[in-house]
Amino acid sequence: MIQKVKNYISSLFLWELIKGLNLTFRYMFKRKVTVQYPEEKTPQSHRFRGLHALRRYPNGEERCIACKLCEAVCPAVAITIESEPRDDGSRRTTRYDIDLTKCIFCGFCEESCPVDSIVETRIFEYHGEKRGDLLMTKSRLLEIGELAEKQIAEDRALDALYR
Amino acid sequence: MSVVMSEDQITIEVDGKELSARKGQMIIEVTDANDIYIPRFCYHNKLSIAANCRMCLVEVEKAPKALPACATPVMEGMKIKTQSKAAVEAQKAIMEFLLINHPLDCPICDQGGECELQDLAMGYGQDVSRYQEKKRVVKDKNIGPLIQTDLTRCIHCTRCVRFGEEVAGLREMGATGRGENMTIGTYIEKSVDSEMSGNIIDLCPVGALTSKPFRYSARTWELIQRDTIAPHDCVGSNMHAHIKIDRLKRVVPANNEAINEVWLSDRDRFSYEGIYSDDRLTTPMIKKNGEWQEVDWDVALTEVKNKLANILSSQTAESFGVIASPSSTLEELYLLQKICRALGSNNIDSRLRQSDLSDQDDAPVFPWLGMPIEYMETLNSALLIGSNIRKEQPILNHRLRKAALRGCQVSAINMIDYAFNYDLANKLVVSPNHMLDECLGVLKALVDETGASVPQSITDKLAGITVSESHKAIAESLNDVENSAVFFGLGANSHQASSQLRTIAGLIASISNSKLGYLSEGANSTGAWLSGAVPHRLVGGQKNATPGKSIAEMLDAGLNAYFILNTEPELDYWNGADAQTALSNAEMVVAMTPYISDAMKDYADVLLPIAVFAETSGSYMNVAGELQSTNGVSAPVGEARPAWKVLRVLGNYFDLDGFDYVTSTDVLAEALTAIGDITPDNDKHWAETFSDNTQSSGIACIKDVPMNSVDAICRRSKPLQATSDIADGKLHVNSSTAASLGLTQDGMANVEQDDNAIQLTVLFDERVPDNSVYLHSANAATNSINASLGSVKVSKV
Amino acid sequence: MEAIYQFINQQLLMPMSAMMFPADLQAEGLYLMQTSLKVMAILSPVLFTVAYFTYAERKIIGFIQGRIGPNRVGFFGFKLWGLGQPIADAVKLIVKEIVIPSGANKTLFVIAPIVSLAPSLAAWAVVPFDDTKVLADINAGLLYILALTSLAVYGVIIAGWASNSKYAFLGAIRSAAQIVAYEIAMGFALVGVLVAAGSLNLGDIVMAQSGSVFHWFWLPLLPLFLIYFISGVAETNRAPFDVAEGESEIVAGFHVEYGGMAFSVFFMAEYANMVLISVLSAIMFLGGWLSPLQGILPESVLSSEVIGSLIGPGLHWLLIKTSIFMFFFLWLRATFPRYRYDQIMRLGWKVFIPITIVWLVVVSALVVAGVPPWFD
Repeated sequence: MIQKVKNYISSLFLWELIKGLNLTFRYMFKRKVTVQYPEEKTPQSHRFRGLHALRRYPNGEERCIACKLCEAVCPAVAITIESEPRDDGSRRTTRYDIDLTKCIFCGFCEESCPVDSIVETRIFEYHGEKRGDLLMTKSRLLEIGELAEKQIAEDRALDALYR
Repeated sequence: MSVVMSEDQITIEVDGKELSARKGQMIIEVTDANDIYIPRFCYHNKLSIAANCRMCLVEVEKAPKALPACATPVMEGMKIKTQSKAAVEAQKAIMEFLLINHPLDCPICDQGGECELQDLAMGYGQDVSRYQEKKRVVKDKNIGPLIQTDLTRCIHCTRCVRFGEEVAGLREMGATGRGENMTIGTYIEKSVDSEMSGNIIDLCPVGALTSKPFRYSARTWELIQRDTIAPHDCVGSNMHAHIKIDRLKRVVPANNEAINEVWLSDRDRFSYEGIYSDDRLTTPMIKKNGEWQEVDWDVALTEVKNKLANILSSQTAESFGVIASPSSTLEELYLLQKICRALGSNNIDSRLRQSDLSDQDDAPVFPWLGMPIEYMETLNSALLIGSNIRKEQPILNHRLRKAALRGCQVSAINMIDYAFNYDLANKLVVSPNHMLDECLGVLKALVDETGASVPQSITDKLAGITVSESHKAIAESLNDVENSAVFFGLGANSHQASSQLRTIAGLIASISNSKLGYLSEGANSTGAWLSGAVPHRLVGGQKNATPGKSIAEMLDAGLNAYFILNTEPELDYWNGADAQTALSNAEMVVAMTPYISDAMKDYADVLLPIAVFAETSGSYMNVAGELQSTNGVSAPVGEARPAWKVLRVLGNYFDLDGFDYVTSTDVLAEALTAIGDITPDNDKHWAETFSDNTQSSGIACIKDVPMNSVDAICRRSKPLQATSDIADGKLHVNSSTAASLGLTQDGMANVEQDDNAIQLTVLFDERVPDNSVYLHSANAATNSINASLGSVKVSKV
Repeated sequence: MEAIYQFINQQLLMPMSAMMFPADLQAEGLYLMQTSLKVMAILSPVLFTVAYFTYAERKIIGFIQGRIGPNRVGFFGFKLWGLGQPIADAVKLIVKEIVIPSGANKTLFVIAPIVSLAPSLAAWAVVPFDDTKVLADINAGLLYILALTSLAVYGVIIAGWASNSKYAFLGAIRSAAQIVAYEIAMGFALVGVLVAAGSLNLGDIVMAQSGSVFHWFWLPLLPLFLIYFISGVAETNRAPFDVAEGESEIVAGFHVEYGGMAFSVFFMAEYANMVLISVLSAIMFLGGWLSPLQGILPESVLSSEVIGSLIGPGLHWLLIKTSIFMFFFLWLRATFPRYRYDQIMRLGWKVFIPITIVWLVVVSALVVAGVPPWFD
C-alpha cells in the first residue's frame, strides 16, 4: 500500500524523468571521448585487418600457391582466383582478385592461407574514385605487399607467439 | 574375384546389426552393400583384393588382432565391430604410418578436396606428427600427356598397378623396390599408352596420379557436376562433366553397370579439351564476294533461306543434299531430315566412312550390336571381322576382355595386326584384297563342318577357296558354342566390298548359330538410321519409296546446295579430297559446325556456329539400341547455339509446318512417336545374292581412323593429339614390303592412285600385311588416297 | 535604443516615405515602412537564433553523449569551435535540388513548408519584449497565439498528403492526432494563465506577475506550467514526442519526400516553433522581462541608471529565460527515448486534460477567493 502511494507520488512528480535528466546533465561536463581523426589516431593492434596484400618470399618469389582456400572460405565471395601451372611447373595464380566492395574484412582469408601469402595490412586509409578502383588485382595486391612488407613481417612475428 | 561364390546365405553381425551375406564374400563387400562404411584405400570393387593398405582393419570377435575387412571372408555367426576402440585404434595407427611419408602439400595438390587420404585423415589422423625423420621423396616420372605423376604422394595402394594388369591388360605400371624404397612407376621410361589409362586418375586415392590437362586449373569445390554422354563411340559412356562458371573443366566417368561400369576411355575423358580450341566458330559468318563477314544469326539464317529458296526455285529439290555427322544427337538428325524432306529432297546421309552401300536396302533397321552390352561378358566365342575394337570401342573391348579372361575364344580377321589386350584364339591378318577370301574360308569350313546350304552365288564362290587350319579353328570355335557372336567392325564396314563381307559375316553367324553384331561408326548411328538421316530409309526405318542419294552419289552428281551438320567432310568422309572438290564447286554450302577450318572457309558459304556435345541437350542411341538423353552441361562458346535450336529456327525461316518446339524434349517426343516400337533384328538382313567381286591386285591401301582423331572435337583436343593414337599422315608399310618397293624408314615415298599422287614419309610398321600400305584417315595429307578406290602405286622418291 | 529608433525614423524613413508615397498617403506609407522595419528587427534575430539553435543542439547533445559536436567549419581559416556550421549547412541546403515526386500534388507539396513556417514567425507579432516593445499590442494576444500555433499542424498534414507516399501520410496522420490531443491540454493551460492574469494581452499577463519570483505564475500554476511546456514539446514534434518523423519507424514521416531548401524550411519551422514555445513559456510562467531580483533588492536599485539596466527588468531577462527553455528542449531530446504512440495518446487525453481541468477549477477558486500573494 505504502509502496503504491510512493509509486504514485514519484510518478506524479516525474521523479524518474528528473533522475534521467540529472544523469544526462552530469554527462554534459564529462571528458569527451572523440578522437580528432586526421590529427589524432587510435592505436592499432598488430592483428588489425585493413587493406589486403599478397606477400613475396625474401627471394622475390610470390608466396601464393593458388590453393584457393581463401576463395573457398571467403564468406562474402569476394575473392576470385584462376590458376594454372607456371612455366616451371609450379602452381600459380593467373588471376587473384579481391572485390573490396564485397569484402567484409573478416580476416578468414588470412587465417586460411597456408603460406601467409594473403594478409590484411594495417592500411585502412584508401579510397576509390571509380568502382573498379576497389577491385584489387593480383598486381595491385603484390604492390601493396611490397610497400607494407616491413610492417607485415613485424606484425606476423608479434602474432606468432599466439599461433 | 577368384573366390568362388557360394549361394549359401549366412548371417553375420556387424556393429550389433544382423546382416545376411553370401558365404565367401569379404566383410567389406557385405558392409558396403548395407551402407556401413569402412575406410579403405586399396580396396576397389572392380579390382582384385590386395589388402596392402590395411586401412580397413576391423575388430572381429575371437580374432586376436584386427583383420582387414577387404580380405577376410565372412563366416557364419561372425561378430564384427567397425567402430570399436580396437578397430578405430588400429585404423588410426595405420593412418599414422601412411602419413609418415605423405607430403603435407594438400594446398598445391589437385586431389585436395576429393582426396580419400585427406578425408580419412580428418577422421583418423592426428594433429601433430610424431615422425621427426626425413620424409621420402620420389622423383616424378613423365608418363605421357594425360596423366601427371606426383609419386611422393603415393601410398602404395597399387590400385593403378592392378588396374593395368586386370582392366587395361597392359602391365604398364608396377612397383619397384621394397619397403621404404618401394616406388610405383613404369618399369622403363615410357608413357602409359592404354586407351583406358585415364581411369587410374580416378582410382588413385591420393594425388599421386592426376589429370594433366586439368592440372591446377580448378578446385573440386568450385566444380558443379552435371551428367552427360560421351559422343565419340557407339557405346555412349555415361560421364560426369565438371563445370566451373559455365566452362567444362574435366570429365569423369559416371557409374552405369549396363554400359561403361565405372570406366571411361581416354578419348571420352579428354576430348573436352577440344571444346575450347582456338578455332571454335563463335559467330555466324557469311561469305560475301569471297570475303568472310561476321554477322548476326538473323542475317545468316536469312542468307541461308534466300540462297536456298533461289536454288530450289530454279532447279529441282534434288539438287539439295545434306551431309550429317553420325555423332549428332537424335534430335538434330531428326530435325535435319525433317527440313530436308520438307524441302523436297531425300538426299540426306550420315554414313561417312562406308563406301560400299550396294546392299543398303537389305540392311537391318539400324546397325545393331545384336545383344546388350553387358551380354558381351558372357560370350564363349567371338569372331571380329575388320575391327580394332580395343581402340574403336574401348568399353566394348573391356567387356570382351572380361569374357576372354573367363575363357572366351576370340578370333579376329583384320587388315592390320592390331594389338589386343588379351590373347586371340585365332588371328588372320591379310591385305584388304584377301579379306573376302579369308572370310569365305571360314564360311567354307563351317559349311563343310555342318553341311548347311548357302545361296548358289556363294556356293560358286566357295568352290575356289582353300580352307586353312585357321579357318577351321575359327569355324570350330564358333560352331555350336553357346553364346557366340560375330562382330562386324568398322574396318569391315569401310571395306570396299563391305556388302559382300556383310553377307559372309551374316552367313557365318547364322550357320554357326552365333549372334551377329555391328560396331557402328559415330556415337549415334543408331539414331541416324532410326530418325531417317539416311537416304533410303524414313523415320523409324521404313523403306523410302524414292530413295535419295548417298553422299558419294551427291558428290558425283554435283549438287548445287549442301547442308553440313557437325562434320568436316574433308576429314570425316572416306573420300575427303573428292568431297572437298565437290563442295567447292557447289553453289551454296551451309556448314553448321562448332569449328572453323581453312578447308571449310574455302568451300562453305555460310557458317553457323553450333554447340558441341556438352553444350546442347539431346539424345544418343547407342549400338545396343539404348536411348540416353542428356542436358547441356556448359554454356555454348560465343554466339554458338545448340544445333536443334538452329534447325528449329531454320524450319521457321522456311515457313515449314511443325517447327514449334520449345525444348529438345518436344523434338525427342515427336521423333520417338514417329519411330515407334522398333525390335532390332540382324538376322537375314544381308544381300542374298553375291555379286561378282573383282579384286584388284597390286599394292592394296588400308585406311582407318586412329582412336584420337575420330571426330572434330578429338582432333582439337591438345592432350589427345599428344598421344600416339592420332592420324599421323605417314605411309605405314612393313619392312619386307618396303624392301621390295625400295623404301627406307623416314624416307619419302610417292603414292599414286588414279590421277592423284602425294608424297608421304615412310614409317615401318610391322602390323601391316605384305603388299599393303596403311594410311590414317582424318588427315588432310592422306585424304586423296582411298582404300576403296583400288590399288595404289608406291615408289621411292 | 529609443534614440537610434528616432534617428532611423527621422533621417531614413521619413525622407524615403516622402519620395515613395503620394502626399495624401504619407502617414500610411510611413507606418508601413516603420512596421516592415520592426518586423525585420524581430525576425532577423529570430532566424539567426534558429540557425544557431541547430548548432547549439548538435553541440549540447554531443556533449551529453560524450562527444564534441561540430567543430570543423569556422571562418577565415579559424575553426572557432565549428561556429560556421549553420552557415555551411544553409548554403548546402540552398544549392541542393528540390525533387518533387512525380505522383505528388505539386502545389500543395510546395506550399506545405511555407504553411509550416509562416505561423511560427507570425506569432512573434504579439510577443512583448519589454513593457513597451511589442509589434502589435493587441488585447486578444493570447487568442492570436493559440490560433497560430494550431495552424502549424496544417503544414505537416499538407506535406504528408501532397507527398503521395505512405510513410509521409502515416506521419501526417500521427501528427494530426497528436496535435489535436495536445492542443486541448495546451489551450486549457493558457486558460489557466488567462484566469490568473485576467487579461489576454501578453503585456498585461507579464505585468500581472510582477512582485517577485514567487509572484510569477509558475508557482500557482505549476501543473499547468509543466503541462504547457510538455505539450509544447509535443506540439513541435520534438523528442520524445517525435512520432510524426519517427526515423526508425516511418523513415522521416511527413517530410520523407522533401529535400534541399524545402526540407530546410520544415527544419526552420520546427526550430522557430521551439523558440516561440520557449519565449511564450517565459512570458506566461516566468514573468517575461521581469527581473528575478524584484522583491529581493529594493525597487530603487533595480530602476537605477547603471545597475538597473543590468539587473532590473528588461529584454535580457526574457532572453535568459527563453534560453533556459530552449536548453530544456535539447536536454529532453538527449535524455528520453521516443514515446510509444499509444502512450502519447494516453498521456494527452487521459492525464493532461483531466489535470488541467482540475487545476482550472483550483485556480478559479483561488482567484475568486483572492488568495495572496498572487490574487489579492
